[in-house]
Amino acid sequence: MENIASLFYGFGVALSAYHIGLMLVGVLLGILVGVLPGLGAPNGVSLLLPLTFSMDPVAAIILLTSIYWGALFGGSTTSILFNIPGEPSSVATTFDGYPLAHKGKPTEALSYAFLSAGFGAMVGIILITLLSSSVAEFALRFSSPEFFAVYLLAFCSFVGLGGSSPFKTMVSIGFGFAFAAVGMDSVSGNLRLTYGIDELLAGISFLVAVIGLFGIGELMLTIEEGFELAGIRARISVKDVLSTAATMPRYWVALLRSAAIGCWMGITPGGPTAASFMSYALAKRFSRNRDKFGTGEPEGIISPETADHSAGTSAMLPMIALGVPGSATAAVMMGGLMIWGLNPGPMLFVERPDFVWGLIASMYLGNVVAVILVLTTVPLFAAILRIPFSIIGPIIVVTCFIGAYTVGNRAFDLWLALGFGAIGYVFKKLDYPIAPMVLAMVIGDKAEDAFRQSMIMSSGSMKIFWSNTLVASLMAGALLLAFWPLITAGVDRLLGSVGAARRGHT
Amino acid sequence: MISRFTAELATAVGTATFGAVVLGGAVEYGIGWDSAGPEPGAFPFYIGAMIVVASGVNAARTVMQRPLAGRVFLDRARFSRIASFFGLAAAFVLLSVYLGLYVATVLYLSAAIWWQGRYRPWVGAVCGITASLFFYFVLEKGFQVPLLKGPIEAMLGIY
Repeated sequence: MENIASLFYGFGVALSAYHIGLMLVGVLLGILVGVLPGLGAPNGVSLLLPLTFSMDPVAAIILLTSIYWGALFGGSTTSILFNIPGEPSSVATTFDGYPLAHKGKPTEALSYAFLSAGFGAMVGIILITLLSSSVAEFALRFSSPEFFAVYLLAFCSFVGLGGSSPFKTMVSIGFGFAFAAVGMDSVSGNLRLTYGIDELLAGISFLVAVIGLFGIGELMLTIEEGFELAGIRARISVKDVLSTAATMPRYWVALLRSAAIGCWMGITPGGPTAASFMSYALAKRFSRNRDKFGTGEPEGIISPETADHSAGTSAMLPMIALGVPGSATAAVMMGGLMIWGLNPGPMLFVERPDFVWGLIASMYLGNVVAVILVLTTVPLFAAILRIPFSIIGPIIVVTCFIGAYTVGNRAFDLWLALGFGAIGYVFKKLDYPIAPMVLAMVIGDKAEDAFRQSMIMSSGSMKIFWSNTLVASLMAGALLLAFWPLITAGVDRLLGSVGAARRGHT
Repeated sequence: MISRFTAELATAVGTATFGAVVLGGAVEYGIGWDSAGPEPGAFPFYIGAMIVVASGVNAARTVMQRPLAGRVFLDRARFSRIASFFGLAAAFVLLSVYLGLYVATVLYLSAAIWWQGRYRPWVGAVCGITASLFFYFVLEKGFQVPLLKGPIEAMLGIY
């Protein structure tokens, strides 16, 4: 009940003409970056973040989260109309979304996607409303060893559950921590890892890294494919949307299952991309219409979309309550919070309730605004996509570099962005995950501080990480997640023929 | 043509080298224990070690895995597309450093749309000038965010 009261207080903070205006602008910009290939939610938020340095934090976070919602929706539009995912997390939407649109039912395909996405987002936000303050309250008991264990847990879940090779994930995490360590050491005040290069004294900004990794890197992948767009024309009629909406309750099982998967993957840092794939795979396994998957089955659109958006929203829960972001975009926003002088984590609920509850309330509004806007602007954004890529591509390049420059007004950052672009391209082509690197860059200093504080508390004994039930269970969870692939493989072997038979069947 | 095998191996060597550089940098600042707790280099030292070890495993797995043999990482056509894109982007950065972002934007967009997009030269020039003016008015005037400027802006008296 206390949460409901806080939520109404939050609505009081969020509901103003200025904030709603920012929401509209943010959602439209978000749809634009979601629709354009090479620009996604993480770098859309990174590009805009420098412009919010002087804004009030509540207004700034509303603008940035709205971009995030818009980008999530925009990514699905291109998946369905052009068979090209605008975002990695909407790849699974192309499997059934494009075939349905291709069969002459683009409105239905889009409506299924947007409405289930809206549903998924709502479930995620309700979860945040109900849980965030108790999670934060619980986390107030944390001291340095517990925080380090939580960070470790986040990274171990990337290693064990990320889907890429665990060792490639470790390289990626290591890169992130190493980049974060460059420059001023926040504990001792010494400079380190600068190798005599003056430009490195100020450190490497994660925003520049994100713009390079996700912007330039993604563009290189697009260019390599020799990009051609062949889209399906879509006009949205209100009647078609409503008649599609009327059939939605029929898919309640898929909706609830996908929302649950999404929330779980969002809170643990599995992220929206993994959530949408997992949800699609499970829907395909359990659906009565599993033979029709891939030919335009509504369940094949609803499942990945619901999971994608519930993961996207619930990724905000660990960010605000624990200071551990659940996705690359949440990591960028958390970096923003720190730049605005806020301290993400349990203390935020005590120090800035207006910010926390304003943000949560704005998430409800923002997603409603996003569903309406995305449905009404489909023809507009489809038209933008018809501008040839050989014109749009170079303009995106310029936008990325200008964005990188505005981060710190340093010419050196332009070179860094270019370098990160090359790293991003190679890493993506070779299945090195990028999100863990971004996460490590953002929370690198905090994780290191927590580690060093713990070491100081224990005079250098690692036993402190097993000194009480709380920290010990967090550490045990981290180890369990890190070795998850080995454990499941071991269990399969123990089960022997049973496991083999099951694998043969699927 | 670059094979996937070569690319995997080269990347593993590259990441291992990066890890070694981090190790080297960490040792410089001390990796032991002083009066204030762990020395500044200690944490980066573990990170560098993790990168080196994980890169080693990646390299070993590449060598031992058979299915990678014969897979293509980048063929000639793709390579030339990537190289010209990246080369032009690098030229844009170089131009920006010396001439400022506005002038570089005009030049880069003109060149990229003309050469890579095979449009008539004026299409690129129009796009470049429009984009440059757009960024000037939105960032410089609207958000009061100054961009990197060069000698030409100075000549025109724009600061």
